[in-house]
Amino acid sequence: MTKPRVGFYDLTGCQGCLLSVIFNEDEILNIINAVDIKEFRFIMGEKYDGELDICFIEGGVVSNDDMDVVKKLRERSKIVIALGTCACEGNIQAMRKFHDKKDIEPLTYKKNHQNDDIDEARAIDEVIEVEYKIPGCPPDREEIKEFIKQVLIGKKWHDYKDPVCIECKLRENSCLLDKDVICLGPIIKGGCKAVCTTNGLKCYGCRGLTDDANFEEYFKMMKEKGFRMDEVKKIMDTFMARRVEKALKGK
Amino acid sequence: MATKEEIIARNPYLPELKEINYYKRESPDSFTIRLKWKLNHGAGQFIFCSLPGIGEAPISICSYSPEYVELNIREVGNVTNALAKLKKGDKLLVRGPYGTEYPLGALKGKNIIIVGGGCGVAPLKGVIEYIERKREKFGDVSLFFGFRTPEFALFSEQMKSWKKTFKLHISFDKIENPATCTTGIQGFVTQLVDDNVKDSNNAVAVLCGPPIMIEKTAELLEKKGFSDKQIYISAERLMYCGIGKCGRCMIHGKYTCLDGAVFRYDELKEHMD
Amino acid sequence: MRRRDVVAPVKTDKSRFQRIENPDDIWLDENTDFPIKKFFFSNREVLFEFSGNKVKNPSLELKDTVYFGVRRCDLNGIMHQDMVFLDDNPDPFYKARRDNSILFGLHCKEGDEYCFCNSVGLKDFFDLMMYDKGNHYLIESGTEKGLVFLDEFKKFFEETAEMISDNDRKIKNNKKLSTTNIKYMYGNESWEDLAKTCLSCGACNLLCPNCHCFTIQDEIDFDLKSGRRVRVPAACQSKGFTRVAGDHIFRETRVSRFKHRIYHQIQYFKERHNEIFCTGCGRCIRGCPVRIDWVKKINEIKDGN
Repeated sequence: MTKPRVGFYDLTGCQGCLLSVIFNEDEILNIINAVDIKEFRFIMGEKYDGELDICFIEGGVVSNDDMDVVKKLRERSKIVIALGTCACEGNIQAMRKFHDKKDIEPLTYKKNHQNDDIDEARAIDEVIEVEYKIPGCPPDREEIKEFIKQVLIGKKWHDYKDPVCIECKLRENSCLLDKDVICLGPIIKGGCKAVCTTNGLKCYGCRGLTDDANFEEYFKMMKEKGFRMDEVKKIMDTFMARRVEKALKGK
Repeated sequence: MATKEEIIARNPYLPELKEINYYKRESPDSFTIRLKWKLNHGAGQFIFCSLPGIGEAPISICSYSPEYVELNIREVGNVTNALAKLKKGDKLLVRGPYGTEYPLGALKGKNIIIVGGGCGVAPLKGVIEYIERKREKFGDVSLFFGFRTPEFALFSEQMKSWKKTFKLHISFDKIENPATCTTGIQGFVTQLVDDNVKDSNNAVAVLCGPPIMIEKTAELLEKKGFSDKQIYISAERLMYCGIGKCGRCMIHGKYTCLDGAVFRYDELKEHMD
Repeated sequence: MRRRDVVAPVKTDKSRFQRIENPDDIWLDENTDFPIKKFFFSNREVLFEFSGNKVKNPSLELKDTVYFGVRRCDLNGIMHQDMVFLDDNPDPFYKARRDNSILFGLHCKEGDEYCFCNSVGLKDFFDLMMYDKGNHYLIESGTEKGLVFLDEFKKFFEETAEMISDNDRKIKNNKKLSTTNIKYMYGNESWEDLAKTCLSCGACNLLCPNCHCFTIQDEIDFDLKSGRRVRVPAACQSKGFTRVAGDHIFRETRVSRFKHRIYHQIQYFKERHNEIFCTGCGRCIRGCPVRIDWVKKINEIKDGN
């Protein structure tokens, strides 16, 4: 069996997703043996511009440069995976649409990059077609590993769609909502093994909304707990401002 | 008391390995395989097929023979897509049989109306093979099958012989070249039933297909005087265990795996959602 | 005396059952926030292992265990799971754990604002049951297994002529489900009002001492040959619960999923096993982020409101 040609690439992001791949220390050699890694700048110097069977892309599309890169990667890849929340949802970068430019300007690395020469920051599936999404900020390293194995045996990957609460309850955590914390668990896709809530952190929603997220009731519940809608929305905006905007418009 | 090892040795989830000794592409999205497996089963029952690492899926048996088990499998998910890549001589993991059967033994002397749509025709092939073995025990037997297009028709070989033994009617949702199509009419299977079924006396209907087909056909048959106790249907649900534990196949308290997949229509009629 | 593990309630931020290292950790003040079911119906069960096409039964780590301080609601939950997992086609993993268990119950005197066990007809189901009499406990044995256990550990117990009175057996409830005959209510439109407040988070399923639905999936190792088939709990309130290959979802609407849970609890299980599934522990209301009170809803429909 010929090994699939795999590339790991990054657009605008923090590279935490690619780190998650490497954080599979115990199995990284297995991964390297199972696939033919053509480019992965964290572990090798080689560049590659040929065809890819599997192409992981982390980061969001925030500039014309990113646009070019992602379109070219698409052209030479059979399977494209949006890796991490920037690639899947837009993440932090996408927030700029919802703020005044002058508020954001002091925060950008403008010396090195021209990274706002397109109107708004996008998830990569808004620019190109992607076969799979592995969300998470960062994505779960175990899930990346499972994904690679499943693709290798020819399976179609089904992403985890159940809410965070299920895994959180399995771990017998006390519910943060009862402590009047704006935890997004009930309306956010799990698969993260409830890692944040298990460690006392609220769910910020890095894996995106569930298929049938019940916004109306979630906001109502928060209102009853004494929160204003903008306070709740601010938490939601962290990772998925664009999705939330669309979802709320649809209501 | 049984030891831990003795208890686990009776593991109902543990499948056994069976060999494929026949493989045929049946339609653009389905294939038929025959397993070397002497399985005592009833018409309408199902088994679980699996491939290690890929997973397991319930598949209805489409034959009725003491010598082998035939399956017609539609490629819709990971398991069925992977099964499609097997070939003659390959092995797969199986367990079963599970579920209820069409009560054919109790239907002696009756006129039988068999209505199938798409991949729902597969389990009905088992019913037909049962009837063929005991043809003299049944009255009139009429077959009504609906497929998407002529190329999606299943069991074209068998249809030729069924045509001789039974009253066979076929419809296609769409026919590209109606002039060249000699096997069936353009339309839905309900139309065939409407045109050809006249009498509900001493008759039993056996339906299998998409929920909408079952619903419409049953409605039509009831208009023609069938009671819901004269109609048998086969239901499909997500299933993981087949033994009434995983809870996934439950329809209003009925387990599709234990109480079905074959139900008498009055058992489920209210609950077709 | 045979050495056994003890599983009993412990309270930290929440109360739950744990294997006990230090007897001082045992906490019996109130019912636990989480049910005991994970000890019998595991959160991740390996059903078998495979290497290529070769399959073999898994090895199972088992410890003789006393489950101590289990309330009647959880005990009846185990009884219901027995009906499912120890039927004609018994689940070997569940059975092995149950065979190795002593159920040592603790009788509740009073429920909290959410529980309603008196409404669902709980049965006596235990090997041993403790009744708190202030300065001592009275112990009742429910099975031969319980008696043998008492005999084995008799140095910890004293024989007494004191009887367990009817009063001792009472549990004061503050909440009531006024009927368990809900079949006729299925079409009632006001279910929709309640179901639309549901976040479909599945917390109720996981907190329920009865809920036992599961998913079976395969895991494979990097050699792409060896692996195992495992089962993990599933929640019927999540949208994907009835999703089949080809992406059809049978219970797509929130209200159909919501009613499925309530009807399984109150009606469906009773039709099959002659017992009401729900044990009235109230965890599904207490642990619901929006405190959906389906008991109140049934009472209202019954009263015609």
